[in-house]
Amino acid sequence: MVEMSSTIRELLVKAAEKYGPQDAIRYKVKREGKNGKRETVVEAKTYSQLKDDSERFSAAIKELGEQGSHVAIVGDTSYGWIVSFYGTVNGGNVAVPLDANLQAEDLCELIDRADATVLVFDKARAAMAQMSVEKCPKLKHRITTESAQTAGDLPAGTLFFEEVIAGQEPGFSFEPKPEDLSTIMYTSGTTGKSKGVMLTHRNQAENATAQDMGFESGMVLLSVLPIHHAYCLSMDVLKGASLGSVLCINDSLLRVLKNIKLFEPNIILMVPLMIETFAKKLEETDWIPAPLVKAKVFGKQFQTICSGGAYLNPDYIKRFAKYGITIYQGYGMTECAPVISTNSPKEKKDGSIGKCMPNCEVKIVDEELWVKGTSVMQGYYKMPEETAETLVDGWLRTGDLGYVDEDGFLFLTGRKKNLIITPNGENVSPEELENKIGSARLVQEVLVREADGVIEAEIFPDMDYASKKKIKDVEAEIQKIVDEYNEKAPLYKRITSVKLRDTEFEKNTTKKIKRF
Amino acid sequence: MFDQLAEIITNYVEVKKEDIKPESRFMEDLGFSSFDFMSMLGEVEDTFDVEIEQEEAAGIRTVQEAVEYLEKIS
Repeated sequence: MVEMSSTIRELLVKAAEKYGPQDAIRYKVKREGKNGKRETVVEAKTYSQLKDDSERFSAAIKELGEQGSHVAIVGDTSYGWIVSFYGTVNGGNVAVPLDANLQAEDLCELIDRADATVLVFDKARAAMAQMSVEKCPKLKHRITTESAQTAGDLPAGTLFFEEVIAGQEPGFSFEPKPEDLSTIMYTSGTTGKSKGVMLTHRNQAENATAQDMGFESGMVLLSVLPIHHAYCLSMDVLKGASLGSVLCINDSLLRVLKNIKLFEPNIILMVPLMIETFAKKLEETDWIPAPLVKAKVFGKQFQTICSGGAYLNPDYIKRFAKYGITIYQGYGMTECAPVISTNSPKEKKDGSIGKCMPNCEVKIVDEELWVKGTSVMQGYYKMPEETAETLVDGWLRTGDLGYVDEDGFLFLTGRKKNLIITPNGENVSPEELENKIGSARLVQEVLVREADGVIEAEIFPDMDYASKKKIKDVEAEIQKIVDEYNEKAPLYKRITSVKLRDTEFEKNTTKKIKRF
Repeated sequence: MFDQLAEIITNYVEVKKEDIKPESRFMEDLGFSSFDFMSMLGEVEDTFDVEIEQEEAAGIRTVQEAVEYLEKIS
């Protein structure tokens, strides 16, 4: 049973009280083995250690004279990252988690735009930290999560996370209020300038704890998504902690399968692209009985995938069910901390993005979904005009088109800003067409857009599948798929131009196809 | 090295070993998706007992480039 928390501090304190000696985080460490060879071992930190270390971090920020300031955190998922996040927000400061995959120039621009005075970074971001000396004049302190021996070339005066923590005592007392700002999160911004979403403690803590997913406490999670991403931070990190889960850190996308065997997770949060790859992996071995395949690829203990971040074809839900794996499709956006709706063990429906979270309500205005409730952001940092366009009398305009069915389940039909307006004024949602074309097995990826006044589909065929099925003329086969769709589609939704491509589409860091 | 790598590649995509050439491109010619490619590199790590940096791996396009990279780090 989930108990709702209204601040991130309350969430962590409750977790430490309930689950103190249990493992909160497990991660791989490389060290010198007995025979001089490097070996990998798994280390763990308990809930008590996590709380204590985060309080030490809060105390250190105060000692630097920076309590109440903005702390930018950039790096791959690590214990240091998570402690820095809790230590920042629970010590009366604002965390600015940034996308570690961005270029150094872009990171410096965001650090400066967010008015950060403290920067926490990892080994791979050392060059960016050097650049920040010149590009981020407001930065006063830099802390690296790397140890002194391995950190490389660092800007003068850089502090070491381990020493920062070691120099403090736990027990730092500060009680943030639910309405205090906790985090500024930059939207990935495939279009236009990325915006800093301002979230409070209540926004984040209630988003993570309002919904009872019916999950047991102490489940093992493998965290594979980038941690700066609102979905990962809210569900893996915060909701995971509220349930006393063990969060296992996936060190690289190279090693997801290997880490599944090592950590034996019960649940993984994924984006649809990953689900599609795993589906292929399972399919290759369809001559072996399903339970054996599942045990070999995922392990017997694995039961659940939570999917978010993009549209997932409901067909995958059925394909995974065969292996005893349940996929719960959800929906959200950073502006809503981020979860807006989700399917759950108690309430689910195929093709739906689930029911609205209990702390929020939705309404439909001109087909667009509007959301109100305690998860909705305070606005965009220093962007009053964009805020006024998005927040209307406390309602968040999602920009997504959809409807609610008679049982209260939400369905999405497309994205307002992607709408194609045909020459005769009719609206076509490219996502609706992409989902239809994309459900053909030969189509790996598809993008639908307007080109020279007609609807065009650009398709990346699944050549692996084509060779397996001995399809010689892929182009003709693709045209057949489009023709079949066109036959049933109303005239204004017909695809009149088809282009094939021989590489994947470029994606942003959350693995969504870059549309423009 | 090339032979062993070609063997691993056939576990991930539907190509015959003899059709894999040094100049074959993973995505365009052999039909890898980005996530398949990452998963294969995970297996390569075990087979050759090496550690691959994700950032460097992203720059590998052809089988020959992969062989050169593996020779460099092993």
